[in-house]
Amino acid sequence: MDKTKDQPDWLAELDAQSRARQSSFIDGISQKLGRARPKTPPVHPFRGAPDFWKSMDWPLEERIARFMENFQETGGHAAHLPDWADVRQFIAERAAEMGAKSIIRQHQPELEQLQLEQALPPDVKVTVWNQDTDGDNIARAAEADIGVVAVDYAIAYTGSLTVMSSGGKGRSVSLLPPVLFAIIPVWRLRTRLGEVLAEFDQAGREHLPAGIHFISGPSRSADIENDLTIGVHGPGIVYALIVG
Amino acid sequence: MSGANTNLPTVKERANEALKDDFLRKAVRFTTERLRHGKKTASELLGNWEEWRERGRQIRLHTIAHLDYYLNLFADNARANGVHVHFAETATDAVRIALSIAKNHEARTVVKSKSMVTEELHLNQELKKIGVEAIEADLGEYIIQLAGEMPSHIIIPAIHKNRFQIAELLSEVAGEKLSADTKILAGFVRKKLREKFLEADIGMTGCNFAIAETGSMVLFENEGNARMVSTLPRVQITLMGMERIIPSWADLEVMATLLPRSATGQKLTVYMSGITGPRRKEDGDGPEEMHIIIVDNGRSLQLGDPEFQELLNCIRCGACLNACPVYRHIGGHAYGGPYSGPIGAVLTPALKKNVAEWDDIANASSLCGACYEACPVKIPLHEMLVYLRRRKVEAGHGQAAEGMAMKGFGAVMGNARRYRLALKLGRIGQKLVVRDGGIRAKIGPLKGWNKYRIAPSIAKETFQERWRTLEQEIRVEPNETSRSAEARLKQVLQERSSKGGHLHG
Repeated sequence: MDKTKDQPDWLAELDAQSRARQSSFIDGISQKLGRARPKTPPVHPFRGAPDFWKSMDWPLEERIARFMENFQETGGHAAHLPDWADVRQFIAERAAEMGAKSIIRQHQPELEQLQLEQALPPDVKVTVWNQDTDGDNIARAAEADIGVVAVDYAIAYTGSLTVMSSGGKGRSVSLLPPVLFAIIPVWRLRTRLGEVLAEFDQAGREHLPAGIHFISGPSRSADIENDLTIGVHGPGIVYALIVG
Repeated sequence: MSGANTNLPTVKERANEALKDDFLRKAVRFTTERLRHGKKTASELLGNWEEWRERGRQIRLHTIAHLDYYLNLFADNARANGVHVHFAETATDAVRIALSIAKNHEARTVVKSKSMVTEELHLNQELKKIGVEAIEADLGEYIIQLAGEMPSHIIIPAIHKNRFQIAELLSEVAGEKLSADTKILAGFVRKKLREKFLEADIGMTGCNFAIAETGSMVLFENEGNARMVSTLPRVQITLMGMERIIPSWADLEVMATLLPRSATGQKLTVYMSGITGPRRKEDGDGPEEMHIIIVDNGRSLQLGDPEFQELLNCIRCGACLNACPVYRHIGGHAYGGPYSGPIGAVLTPALKKNVAEWDDIANASSLCGACYEACPVKIPLHEMLVYLRRRKVEAGHGQAAEGMAMKGFGAVMGNARRYRLALKLGRIGQKLVVRDGGIRAKIGPLKGWNKYRIAPSIAKETFQERWRTLEQEIRVEPNETSRSAEARLKQVLQERSSKGGHLHG
């Protein structure tokens, strides 16, 4: 992915300086460590979590219960719904209660299937990320009252959602609107964080997206007199909807 | 009101400033207690905390012992992801690279998420010099930036400001009077900074961890400002200490288990983001151009040093600040650098090559070992404080009495029988000066200490035997005796300020 051709001169020059400096920088470290630079990967006997932890795997019902408990504890809302029609109704009802006028959603097959548009009054505008955004995705997300995403994974032990970026999945959709609905197809719910992280090691560098985000509840801060404030920069209202 | 004067030359003077400020002391005590209890509950709830700590320590030890291999691997992989990687041996190098990127983009504003490295480099001031406005986007950092101060706590940077002071600062920005209500103040900052995120040319971040095997960088945060900064502007610059490396995503599970619990007692911070290169061609957002500046700035001086190499294991959680009885009383500004508390007391001088510049900061510790107990990767900070003092003395920057005491300390501590004997001797010797169970005389090695306190007489039981009771004593609110001590302290301070000087005898 060497883009030397289409980059400006100053950047090419900085890159050249960096490449020239890299070996002396790294050799300096080897020297201070008092040995030659290792040519083969060092043996790493303590990789990852302790063994007792790796064997923890909850049955599905427990994963669902614990996820909801943990997510609510952080100030988020959680619901377990039997099927996609319930999800559609749930979001439509909340959107009406909040008086939402615009919604942005990811361009994902799950959300096509959801057909949220049909359950909403005609004056509520639904925008699809990177599809009908008039070339300004970020502005559309910034204007929206609600963002809707289907998550890639969820983690019961920490009460976390995992969203990964792609052409159809913007990072802004789960970040800019003040309200976020995150839909979790139940089979994507794992017990431990490590189960999800292992997927990234397995996938390898070439197959990772630019942004992988773990979201555990609404945005918060205790920076003013230790007084908990919700929704400082990210969404202040977050619904995690487990479906199936 | 809040003494943020970090320009005073000595720790003693800065601590004096801090001790005068009643709000600061109460706020620091309250916050550190809240965070400390959060950590305690979270680690108990998790269970097997010692095993997690040990695993965290092993991963950090392993990575630092092979830092050349892993850092090189990280740089190669990040570059393969399309990141412009830069190496900065000194603060000057790092600043030069960052400014050159900003200049070439003709940037007017840079929005920043929390980064201790940029504090270390004074990067905001340098950007200002070339006409670039740097805006801190973390709520606490934004507040202290408006006040023109340094963070006083690594996790809660504006710990020393009350809501009225904050309302005053923000009202100036708003051009109207904002009431001192947390929701209103935070709401104003949200709106104000949202505009800045959307219009900034460059987003600047720190880096909690960098994953060598995939060239990814990881950010932990609660507000969402780091996500904003790494999603909205066209250019992202990440400043990263060269020791932030971990080998794999699997290792991140251990760090993600230790860091948030140790910092705030959370199971995980609200956001944990792993960023692997700039936006892909088909992506609708994310930076088009991404830079990672790898900063040494004195870190490599610790490599191969048996006494200080473990300093590089630090994951910047702040647990040692919350555990430290000294930090609790004097707050962060007394340490005179971006890093405060026990880690700051060791890191600040360790990052500087020239011993002569070492502050008297290592003396701002009672060597009680609470920092080591609190550290999620088991860095022996209390031992390092002793090494620092020894080196300072060896280099001729200590006082003669301390030199003798250090030699004596080595001689005595090196031999268990001698240690017991010394204690026994002390118990007898102190009879000369003990009155009502305390030593008031301002003589010998107790001269500085007893200025404000009554040194306890040597105990009938050893420290270890008394640890539980002691801890209780340290943690409880001030009782009768310390209230009278406070009155005495105020009187002393008043006398001194009427004399117009802050110098100690």
